[in-house]
Formats: sequence, C-alpha cells, structure tokens
Amino acid sequence: MKPDNTIEYLSQEGWRQWHLELLQSTINRVYHRVPFYRKLMDINNISPEDIKSLEDLKKLPFTTREHLEENYPYDLFAVPLRDIVRLHTFPGPRTPIVKGFTLRDISAVRRLTARFLAVSGVTSEDIIQICLDPGMSVWIAEIKEGAEELGASVIPPDPQSVQNRIKVMRDFRASVLITTPSYALYLMDLMQEKGIEPPKSLSLIVFVGEGIEEEERVRLEQVMGVSTRLGYGVTEAVGPGMGYECDKKSGYHLAVDYFIPEIIDPETGKDVPPGEVGELVITTLAVKANPLIRFRTGDMARFITEPCPCGRTTPRISQIVGQADGRVSIRGIKVSLTYIENLLEKAYSHIPEYVLCIKKKNYLERLSLWVAINEKLFEPSILGLHQVAERFERLFAETFGLECRLKLVEKEHLEEISKGKKIIYLH
Amino acid sequence: MLTIRNLVTCYGPIKALKNVSLHVVKGEIVCLIGANGAGKTTLMLSIMGIVKPKEGEILFEDEPIHKLPTPSIVARGISLVPEGRQIFYPLTVEENLELGAYHRYKKEPKESIRLDLEKVYELFPRLKERRKQLAGTLSGGEQQMLAIGRAFMARPKLLMLDEPSLGLAPLLVDSILKTIKSLNEEGLTILLVEQNARRALELAHRGYVLETGKIVLQGRTEDLMADEDIKRAYLGKDYREFTD
Repeated sequence: MKPDNTIEYLSQEGWRQWHLELLQSTINRVYHRVPFYRKLMDINNISPEDIKSLEDLKKLPFTTREHLEENYPYDLFAVPLRDIVRLHTFPGPRTPIVKGFTLRDISAVRRLTARFLAVSGVTSEDIIQICLDPGMSVWIAEIKEGAEELGASVIPPDPQSVQNRIKVMRDFRASVLITTPSYALYLMDLMQEKGIEPPKSLSLIVFVGEGIEEEERVRLEQVMGVSTRLGYGVTEAVGPGMGYECDKKSGYHLAVDYFIPEIIDPETGKDVPPGEVGELVITTLAVKANPLIRFRTGDMARFITEPCPCGRTTPRISQIVGQADGRVSIRGIKVSLTYIENLLEKAYSHIPEYVLCIKKKNYLERLSLWVAINEKLFEPSILGLHQVAERFERLFAETFGLECRLKLVEKEHLEEISKGKKIIYLH
Repeated sequence: MLTIRNLVTCYGPIKALKNVSLHVVKGEIVCLIGANGAGKTTLMLSIMGIVKPKEGEILFEDEPIHKLPTPSIVARGISLVPEGRQIFYPLTVEENLELGAYHRYKKEPKESIRLDLEKVYELFPRLKERRKQLAGTLSGGEQQMLAIGRAFMARPKLLMLDEPSLGLAPLLVDSILKTIKSLNEEGLTILLVEQNARRALELAHRGYVLETGKIVLQGRTEDLMADEDIKRAYLGKDYREFTD
C-alpha cells in the first residue's frame, strides 16, 4: 500500500492550524489524565485554556528522561492500562523506562514508518534486510511493521554471523539494507577484505540510529553500488521515521504531523536563533498512550531554514551533531554517563574516577571504561577485583546490549589520558 | 474553508466552549461527536452568529465572520439545519423551501432558484408529492428532509447539520445520511453534529470529539472508530466520559 503523503505539502498556515488543534487536544487530555503533567502545569500556574497559540507551548516546562524514570511504572500513561496493547522497555539508570502503545498508536507508528521507507525509495517490490543490534529491538519491530505495511518483504536481524548475513543477502536478493552507518561501513570493509563482491541486488541502504560523514557516505555508495538515505527518530517519543531524507539528501524532513519540534539552548532553555545548533525538543501530537510534552531529546541539531526544493513544507533539521546531556550514541544505542555511574555504583558501592574510551575498529565502536585505582576499590585478592570488574561488564551488557571492557589503571595515567573529560575517542 | 481558533462562548458566567480550534477543508465531511451538553450545538450556533462568541476567531474562506450578523453569514455560504428541524409549521412545504433562498431573490434570477427547488424535489421526491401540504402535517422524517432542503435552497458552500437523525426511524436515518453523502459527493462541504457517533464516524472523513466544551481528540474517522476511548465513551462499550 502506498502511503498518503499529501500532508507533507500542507501550507504554513495549514501547519499552524494543525499544530494548534492537536496541541490543544493533547494538553486537554494530559492535564486530565496524567497526574505528572497536571502537577507540572499547576505548579507553573498554567491551565489548558492558556494554550491559545503555538507560542504558548513555551510556557510549559520541559520533560526529561529523568522524569520518565521517576514516573515508572504507570504514572505517565494517558490511557487506562487495559488499553495498552504493547509495552516496550529500555534501560534507565535505576529503573527501566517504559513506553506503552494503544492499538491506535501502533497503527500510527506503522503508517509513519511506512512513509519514511517510501520516501526513502522503498517499494512493495523490495526485499529488506534489517541489520541492527538487539539494543535497538524497539526499532527493529517498528521498521519491520512499517515495511510490511508497504507490502515489502522483510528479513529481520536474527542472530547470525556476519558471513551468514552476507550469504542471506545474496541468496535472497535483498534490495534494501536497513542498518547503522557503522555496521554498513564494517560490512563494506569486510567484503573488500575477503574479496566478496557487493550483491548486485542491493540498491539502497537506509541508515538509522546515527548520522554519517559525507565522505564516508560517498565512499560507501561507490563501493557498494547503492544509493543511501538517512532516517532519524527518538525511541521515547514516536519511533523511527520522525525525520527522513528526501531525494535531495539535504537534512531530515521532520514528520511534523506527529509532533512539534523546537530547538533550544540546553543551558537557557530558550529558542536558539533560526539555523543555529541547539537541543531538539519534541512535543508529541499523535501519541495516545504516552504523550510527551516538550521532551528534551538530548540530540543537538539545527533547523535548515531554506525551503527544500522537493516541495515538502515540513521543517528540516541537520544531522545530529552531538549530545546535550552527556550521552553518546554507539551504533544507534544511547549510552549515558549517568547510567554508567549508576552501574559503577552497583559494582563498587561508590563512583570511582573513570573515563569512557571509544575506539573505532573496523568502523564498529569498541567501548572500554578505564577506572582509576583507589583505596576504596581494594579487594583482598586479584580474583576479587576481577570478579567485580566482570560484574560491571555483565551489568553493562545487560543494560545496553553492548560490550564494554573495564580496565583498572593508575590515577595519574587516567588523568593524563582523559585530560578532565569523561568521554574520549581513541584512534 | 472553515477555520476556528480558540473559540470561547459563554452562557452567562458559564463557558460552554473553551478554546475550541478546528478546521474543515473544502469537500470534506467533518463530524463533531460528544455527549449531551458537550457544546456541539453551541459551536454550530456560534459559527452562525446566533450566539456571539466571547473570544476567538472564525474564518470562512479566509475571511473573519465571527463579528458578522447571521444573515451575512448565510449570504457568504454557510447554512444550518438546526436540531429539531425548526421548520415553519403553518407554511406549505414549498413556501418553507422558498424561504431558504430568501437572501438570493434580490441578487439572482428567479430561474436559478427554481432550478434549485427542482433539485431539492429530485433529492426528496416525497417533498414534491407534498409541496402544497402544510409543513406541520409532515412526519418527522419528512420534516427533516424539508429542513435539509430549506438549508440547501440557500446555496451553501458549507452545510451544517445538527443531529439530523434525532428521533427518526432507522430506515429514515439511512436515507437522510445517504442524502448527506450524495450532497457531499456533488461537492458540498459538510459539518455534522451527531449523537449517533457510529453513524457519524462511518459517514465522515474526519472527526472531532468535544467534551465539556473542549476538543479532547480528533483525527481520521477510521482511527477514531478504532480508538478505545471512543469505543468506550461513544460506541457503547461500557459508557463513561473519557476525561473522567
């Protein structure tokens, strides 16, 4: 089924009306149904009737990932629990973060994902292979459903060796690969190294989870003989396909029929001047179970102010240029320092000095956490020290679905290498 | 075609509409659903200028109309089929229909009005049979046909219907709704208020849910029909107001 894309060409006046109507009804619902938002609005002396224009959205306070965690398990739902037909969970520092879906939410996300894939060039004729880490399970499910909505065939990322994945890709003539840029680069390198020709059937790679440098993108397109597109999404808010490139490949078109985007200065909370980099803030409009009001994504980007030659009237943002809140994106999985500190505390009962080292090997990031030895770490035996380190590594893998080695180093050495930073990149 | 922003309408100190914003695009059927007292009729009366909104704006074809008197609003192309029909009982069917075109007589040739009259009779042959009969003697269904016919005689661009199925036998409801659909297919834009939410959602393209004067939900009607809240509150699955 071809999705109806007329909404992407709505006039600016039309968008303002669309946003105002949905914002007002969303606020009316959350005020009545979500005690967290009602309290937040009452404290700030705002009633739903004060929202008379889109500018009034700025009167409302921000929501953060901490709020999602504090209100675990039930306190952010805007529908009765029995209406939730699917629950996704993702790691939080202390508790999981949950996101519920009503039937209507599921079909809304599916339609959006289908649109994202269709704009990216996927058709019902395509055979799509998804290669994403298990840490991105929410997206895997949503991309699979979006692709199925389009009528395409899907090969989800079942646990397989990379050689087997390439074999499946070749034998089943996959025409579209959906993966992260790092995994695509890794595949390309591996194929080159082993002298494997890129499968002729493959014509499109859709990147999700992170952005890609222009240079690497061009190289990938040339070596693999494909075209590429980028997609953007925030798991907590709507899902994949919240932003996607058109054939002009110049920034993500935001699917603003589903949410209102803002770009703010993370320090002051005020809008940055148009075109300047700031933190992307999302207010969902088409979500019933877990609406989010002014949710701080932590993703730093800028609005592209020029209209797009493709004719879509939806606003565009640049690729994500960094993280506002001490997080780092590893193959699409967001790893935050707060979470790491929490795991360290669990393992060592205190937070020792540490630095997170990210090293790219064959385009895939390898993580290691260097911890400074101090007297509190002291264990009666080397074995004991090892066991604690292993415990941390296990907790890390359980939390993020990623591997991270823990390395004990001398304090001086750590300081020398980190130069006061918490995250460093090794080459 | 019709754009409403932040409409507030009061009856004395009581706010019947609180910041209502909605829009209707040319060619659409949009329905408003909501319980008794939610403000559906007030919204229609506010659009017609019969009750004056306290705040907010109503734009029709990009022009503000919220300060205009009712006759000018009708002249611009909005007609209301009011709840309970409100036809003129002591007048004949045809006189009632002619009254619907009252603002056109000075501006248009009689011929075009006559053609519209024929069109109404084509739509509702029953009215043609009873053209000379007093409206007060018609059955409920026929009165509803007459009310729609009268509104149509004003040559509206936007036809608003308030509870057209109220008090009608199921078979008549079918025929009235069918007529509304065919009018829409001929290009008439329609805003429909219905207590019979299921029928309204089946007929319309988009819908808004009004609750105690506020819009609490909107969307494409297929989404609304699948919505758990709507099913509970309006489609008869353990009824209760949904912001309770």
